[in-house]
This record gives sequence, C-alpha cells and structure tokens, in this order.
Amino acid sequence: MSVDRSTAGNAPDHAHRKRASRGAVYAVLAVIALVFIFPFYFMAIGAFQEDPTTSLSALAPRGGWTLENFTTINERLGLLRALVNSLVFTAGVLAGTLVFGLSAGYALARLRWRGRGALFVIMLGVQMVPFQLLMIPLYVQIAGNYGLGDTYAGMILPSLINTTAVFIFRQFFRSLPESIFEAARIDGASELRVLWSIAIPMVRPAIATVVLITFIGPWNEFLWPFLITKESSMQPLAVALANYINNVAGTVANPNGAILAGACTLAFPVVILFCLFQRYFTASDIGAGIKG
Amino acid sequence: MTTPSALAAPRARTSARDPWWRRLLGTQPLGLGMSLPYIVFLAVVMAYPLGYAVYISFFDYVFTAPGVHADHPFVGLANYRAVLSDPRVLGSFANIAVFLIINVPLTVILSMVLASALNSLTRWTAAFRVAFYVPYVTASVSLIGVWMLMFSQDGLVNSILGPLAPDPSWLVNSHLAMPSIALFVTWKQLGFYVLLYLAALQNVPKELYESAQVDGAGAAKRFLHITVPGVRSTTLLVLILAIITGSNLFTEPYLLTNGGGPDGASASPVLLIYQKGIQQGNPDLASAIGVILVILVGLLSLISTRLTKED
Amino acid sequence: MRTLTRRTLGTAALALPLALAACGRSAVDSQEAATSRGPISIWVSTNEQELAWGKAVSEAWNAEHEHEPVTLQEIPAGSSSEEAITAAIVAGTTPDLIFNISPAALPDWMRAGGLVDLTTFEGGRRHIEERGGTRARNYAEDEGKGGYYQLPWKSNPVMLMYNRKIFADAGLDAETPDLDTFDKLLDASRQIVSSGAAGSAIWPSPTSDFYQPWSDFYPLYLAQTGGTRLIENGSPTFDSPDGLAVARMWRSMYDEELAPREQSTDDAMTTGATAMQLAGPYAIATYKDAIDYGFMPVPTAEGIPAGKTITFADSKNVSLCSTSRNRLTAWDFLAFATGEEWDGKLLELTGQMPLRQDLASVYPDYFAKNPDYTSFADQADRVADVPYVSGGIEIWQRFRDAYSGAVIFGTDSVEQGLSDVAHQIDALIKE
Repeated sequence: MSVDRSTAGNAPDHAHRKRASRGAVYAVLAVIALVFIFPFYFMAIGAFQEDPTTSLSALAPRGGWTLENFTTINERLGLLRALVNSLVFTAGVLAGTLVFGLSAGYALARLRWRGRGALFVIMLGVQMVPFQLLMIPLYVQIAGNYGLGDTYAGMILPSLINTTAVFIFRQFFRSLPESIFEAARIDGASELRVLWSIAIPMVRPAIATVVLITFIGPWNEFLWPFLITKESSMQPLAVALANYINNVAGTVANPNGAILAGACTLAFPVVILFCLFQRYFTASDIGAGIKG
Repeated sequence: MTTPSALAAPRARTSARDPWWRRLLGTQPLGLGMSLPYIVFLAVVMAYPLGYAVYISFFDYVFTAPGVHADHPFVGLANYRAVLSDPRVLGSFANIAVFLIINVPLTVILSMVLASALNSLTRWTAAFRVAFYVPYVTASVSLIGVWMLMFSQDGLVNSILGPLAPDPSWLVNSHLAMPSIALFVTWKQLGFYVLLYLAALQNVPKELYESAQVDGAGAAKRFLHITVPGVRSTTLLVLILAIITGSNLFTEPYLLTNGGGPDGASASPVLLIYQKGIQQGNPDLASAIGVILVILVGLLSLISTRLTKED
Repeated sequence: MRTLTRRTLGTAALALPLALAACGRSAVDSQEAATSRGPISIWVSTNEQELAWGKAVSEAWNAEHEHEPVTLQEIPAGSSSEEAITAAIVAGTTPDLIFNISPAALPDWMRAGGLVDLTTFEGGRRHIEERGGTRARNYAEDEGKGGYYQLPWKSNPVMLMYNRKIFADAGLDAETPDLDTFDKLLDASRQIVSSGAAGSAIWPSPTSDFYQPWSDFYPLYLAQTGGTRLIENGSPTFDSPDGLAVARMWRSMYDEELAPREQSTDDAMTTGATAMQLAGPYAIATYKDAIDYGFMPVPTAEGIPAGKTITFADSKNVSLCSTSRNRLTAWDFLAFATGEEWDGKLLELTGQMPLRQDLASVYPDYFAKNPDYTSFADQADRVADVPYVSGGIEIWQRFRDAYSGAVIFGTDSVEQGLSDVAHQIDALIKE
C-alpha cells in the first residue's frame, strides 16, 4: 500500500496545524520529562546542603553549600568500599547472566531437545514467585550447606542468571531467520561455533537491553546481601544505605543531608553511565512471539 | 515442522531408528547441555526452596538449628484456613488489588502513549528517553529517601499544594498510602515499559500511518486503530510483567511506609510473608500466603493472556 | 502422551541437583565443644559506640590469649538484627557469642536449639546472679528457676526527655516540670502546641514495627501498673483499667494533634520540631551538643513518687550459640567482657547501663563526672522487661497493629481495640 506523499497535507493550513500539534507534543513530553527527573535534581541539591529542608525555597538555594554530608556518610559506611562491593556483586550477576543466559536462550530458541518446552514453561512460572518466600530456605542452603556466607559467591548465586534475560535472549534468537543457520551448518560449523560467530553477533542489541535490566537487580538488592554478609566490609552500598536510613538516621545531626548524599552516591554513577551509553538501549522488539 | 534438508537442520521428532540417547534426549541433545547451567540454577535457587515452601505450608512448621529435631505434624489445609481468616492477610490482598488497579492501567497507557509520542518525533528523543529511563535504572533505596522528603507532612508536594494538601498527609493517610505507592512504582518502572513499546513500534509498518492520514484519520484514531493493535503482543508482556512486579511489591511498603503503615493500609502480601516467615518465625503461615499469592498471580496472568488474545 | 513424558523428564532433570542440595549441615558435637578452647567469633551491634567497646574488649582479650583469639563482626542495631540472627541459627552460621540479643525474640531462638544454657558452665549461674542480682531471674527459664540462655547485659531505662528551651518558651517550668500525671502531661502538651513553642509536644515513631510500643505505650504501662508485663502467667494483662488509661492518654495526644501521626523525616528533637520524647541514656550522646535537655520519670495516671516509678528496661543481652565449637573460650570471654572492668568501659563508651546491681556505687567516679547519667543509674534499678514468652515478636506485632488502629489512627475505639487484640493474643499463647 503505497501513497504519494505529495497528496498528503497539500493545504498550507494542514501543514500549519501539523507543526502546531508537534509543538504541543514536545511541550507535553518536556513537562513529563521534568516531572520524571525532578526528584534527581532534589536529591543532588539536597546532598550538598548544610540543612536540606523541604520547603519551596530550598529548590534554588543561595548558600549553605557543603561537602560535609558526604564525609559524614563516608565515615559511617565507607562509600568507596561499599561501591566496590556493589560493583563486584553486579559484575558477577552480569557475567553469569551473559554466559549462561545466552547459551540457555540459544538452546531454548534454536535447538530441539527433550525438556525444552517444560523448561520454557517453568521459566515463565518462576517469575511469579516472590523472593521473600524463598529467602530462608535459600539462606540455609547457601550459607549453611555450601558455606558461602560472607563471600561474593554466596551473594551472587541467587541472582546468577536473570530469567527475564534468558527470556529476552530466546525471543531474539527465535526472530533470526533459519536460513542463516542452515547455511552455516551445511558448511560444517558446530553448534557452538554457530552460536559464537553467527548468532551472538546478530543479537548485540539484545545484549545491551539485557545488561540494562540485569544490572539493576543486584545494584538495588538490599535484603539478600544483608542476610548473607556479616562483615560490613563486604556489604554493597544499597545494603549499607538501607541500614543507615533505618537505624543510624536518628543519631546524627543532619540525617537528611547524609541520606541524600548516600542516595546520590548510589544513583549517579549509574545515571551517568546510562546517559553515556543510552543510545545502545534502543529498539529491539522482545514482545513478539511471547506465546511461545 | 519439517525441514527440507536433513543435513541442514535435525528433525524435530526422533524415530525408532535413532540411538537410545537421541530418543531420550531429543535430536539435539547439545541443547540440554547448553541449558544445563541454567537448569541447575533454577533447581537449586528456585525449585528446591519453592518446593520446600509448598511442603511446609501443609505442616505445623518451625525452623530449627541444624541437628535439632522438632515435631512437624501434618496439618492439611489448616495454615491456609488460618491465613484466609486473618483480616490483615485479606487486607493485604485488597491493598495489592488497589495497587494493581491503579498501577497496571496507568503503566500500560502511559508507556504506550509516551512511546508512540517519542516515536513520532525526530529531535530531542535521546534526552526524553534518558529522562524516562533514569528512574528505572536507579536503586529504590536511594529514590525512597527522596520521596519520603517530598511527600511528608511538611514536604515539598504539600507546600506546593498549600491548602489543597491532603490531611492526613499522603503516606499516613489510609486512603492515599497505597495510591501513593502505586504512583511511585509507576514512575519508577515506566522507563522499562517505554523501552519495550519503542522497540515494538519499530515493527509497525509506517505505511499504515501514512495511508490512514490520507484517509483523514486524526491522531487519536490512528493511535487507536494502528498503534494499539500493532503492539498487542508487547501489551501482553507489559501487562504480565506489571502484574508480577506489582504483586510482589515489598521494598516500598517496607521502606517508604515503614512496615505497611498507616494501620496496615499499605501492607502487601509479600511484606506479611517477610514479617511472618522471617521476623515472627511462622514459616508455615508465610508459605501459605506465598502459595496463594503465586496462584493468584498465575490466574491473573492467564486472564491477561486471554484478554489480549487476537480473535 | 509425548508431552507428558517430556514434562516428566524435565522435572526429573530438575530434581537431580536436589540430591546435592540436601546434603546435611554438620552439627557441632556439644560434648566435645563444651570443653574445647580455640578461636571464637562474636557479633556486636553496628552502633558506633558499642562497636568501639567491642573492639576495645576483643583487643584486650587477644593481647593475652594468643591461641584463643576473638574475631569481631557487626550486625545491624535496628529492626533487622532479629532476622539476621534467626536466619543464622537455622543455617548454623551463628558466631560463638552474640552481644545483641533481644529478649523478646530469645525464647524462640532457644526453642529452635540455637543457644546454649550458660549455667552448664562452671560458675555460670553464680556470675550471672552476682552481677545482675535477683532481677536476673526475669531472664531465666521456668519463671526464673531454670537455666539462663542469655546473660542480662545492658539496659536503656526509658525516661521522658524534654527540651528545656521549648518548655521555657511555652511558659512551663523548664527546671522541674513535674509532669507526673497524664493530666499534667496533656496540659503541658497543649500549652506547648498552642503557644507555638513547638509544632508538636511529643513525637513517638507512629510506624507499625513490632518494637515501637517499647517507646510509647509500654514504658507508661509498666509505670502505671508498677511493673506488670504485657503478659503474666500466660495471659495478656493490658486489657485492664491501667492499660486503657495509658492507651486513652495516647489517643488524646493523637486526637488533639499534640503528637503527629507521621514519622519524622528529621530528628524531631534536634530540629526542635517536638518538645519531648521517650528515650534511654543512649540519647545523651546524640543530643548533648544539640539541645538543652532534661529528663524526668515517665508519668502515670494519678502520679507516683519518682523513686517508685518502674519503666521499660529495653535491655540487650548476650547469648552463646550452639554452633560454638570452643565453648570454654566463649564462656571465658563472656565472663571477661561482663566483668566489672569492661562493664565500666561499656558505661563509659556507650552511656548504656550494664545490668549490674548498684551501678551508682560500683562506678562512683563515672557518675560524678557525668551527672546527666545519674538519674538513669537510679532508674536502672527499677525496670521491667518484655514478657518471657515464645512467639514474642508475633505478639508484639499484633499488639502494635491493634494499637495503631485504636490509638494512633483512631479507626477503632480504644476499648474495642485492646479487648480484641487481648483475645487474639490469648489464643496465640494457648495454641
């Protein structure tokens, strides 16, 4: 169904209206975008304030700038150490998800083996189970049976392979045309070779998406790493910050400033990384073919 | 499914002439090998603890130290009866219903509209995308501190609203606490769903819009008749994911309203699982709540699948 | 059929690793452990001052016990410590000693088999009872006649702290406010709010955590009843004229908006947003440079002499865990750390009161130098704690939930709320 473009909107009035409506779309989106990022502005301003108040005038402060909030929270938490722990935790989960998730996703999408259908059904099912239900049995298993308390391995294990990521990989591999694989197989390439040199390069956009959705899990998680670590030097920043908000807040003079400073430390590295790499997180349809 | 060349792709079905292992494992047993780490992971981290949880929901169960033996008598459905007659538990399911009624439609509609608006633009899209995604990539722990400050009694939102500010304030008002949380979660998660819709929109043929415009269809009409059906399968995914994340709500009532306050108005089933199972040492009751929750979420997902199915 | 076999196979594949997962946790041989010496580990709360004490005591010990070194780890001070301990007991990953045991949760941990009876050590009973006096019995099994699974370690007797400046601004007597009855407390509160001296009179945390009654309802209830605990002889006691009087007093505070229904986002005492709070001696360290404060005993309905007021102990105790493989060392270290010298150090570093008899006469120098703490040392002799019952946290959570509706948010009447929850708790105990 092809249309001659020149027939559409030939009246000048029509074009004018179109431009006006586009302007309206920009305006509405801009307002929504401001609402979305406003809390970040609030966080950033408050983190550098001597006495972050919640009044309107505090939004554009003239003075009272300080770095003390960061030193206060750093003394209590060891921000750098906690950030490193968060990084190790997150990197472990990312590595596990990329290695095992890619191969499982490929096997689920392109290979025929017994149990494939069952695994796919189970995979969709496990997404519905709340983690809190599994926490104590898991803790007994990981800290008790495997002796992995106070280790990064124990911290990483429960989220080692992100199921949503496996699902996304499967959808991507399924959407590739079969002919590519046939050609490679005729040339005598092994399945692993097909995966490594043909399939994976073709699903690069999926890898970006998976990195995005996978890394937030461990970066955010505070309950599990809190249970598994008793050495405070092992605790990721989210755990340290949640404990700080819960317990210590009542015992320092300017808790809000310190909390906001901690929040900034947790939020901004990610926000900045994300802004730098945002163009990779784009268009790739994973909704298609969800019905299996 | 039959393939033209036996060399190119293995057959879907095994036949009696194949060796026994191929009959047992399928035509490409390598698939099993490649999935094995994931299968082991699911077994160890999900299936085993889940099976354990389901098991203890039928027993009068307490946790004990290793080597200590305690009686765990079988009680049938007694734990289920106990939690289903506990007004706090029923209240938490009602709360989550309120949450889903606000959060799910809002998420689906807003993310679809925002994505198609973004899709129609040519400039500034990267900046808008960043703005929408940023809450999603940020840890809840850090955002909750900010929201608490903004929505408290003397907080920013109330000082903007002035006399219109609700009394009692947002997070301590039993009618507003859950809606406030629902708004927070919608805001927090929206970016991810916008991302899904943006991806899906790439597959809706541009010609459809152009021809509709020629036929004189307005923007609203094009949205309803082309966009909405065009991204139907993504809508299903968004629906299911939003239902699942919503039903497993925990961090927000735990940190934002400090244990499901005010007066239990924002308690969620998962918060009760946490309180009963981990704080109070009643893993049997907690597991019963968990099993009921999983069944309900499964049912909701099935219903969504039916509703969005093409006729 | 085919799908069926395929499914079964998938399930079988899933079941395989379970055999691996199910292999047992090795239990400690308690006979051998009871006489064994060697390295031990201890958990101390993350609270800055307690941590400093923990480091000092373990360093002092390690200097003299080369082959039995103590390793220090931290557990969070607040709500989450119970979860961490419960999980560790079930998994068998507890340390040798925990210096942060909440007596409300202890009976369940004991029943789970996670703790060791301290009277099985030579001189165990003597050390505990000589140190703590007769009130140590409140922390023992079988109504005080049985063994000790916890050493009553330190208390934070709750008193009514007030901001002198706000009291003066409101035209109240800032030196000796004399708010010993509920009526006087309510009148003073009205005066504080109506005069504009502060936005609220008192600001207990209104959240639903199970332990919140310990800083609003419970201290006043103990004072009002002369030390009757929430549960006595297996029955709830609070659905009584005394319990109702305390609950009605708080209900008036909330109804008249003298106490906010929302949690403070700041420290309300420091910022001057409120004039009073119920607090233990740990508060002194926080406020000594921030505000001009005073302390008074918690009030009762009719008023009783300060020297007779009983309040909430808010104690934290020490337990020896059954995972300990070197129990003799653990016990020796426990006795060392709770001897006169290190109790004194605890007082000095944290301001919390060791649960020891006659504090004021054992550490005269300290109280001479720190007069602020003297009233607490005096009060520390008249404290009561949470009841010794299993399922304690569940009971407190139920109580808090009902209190929250009947008192804080006023969705229910005080009478109905307390009576309903008393029946529920009664049923729980009888179970």
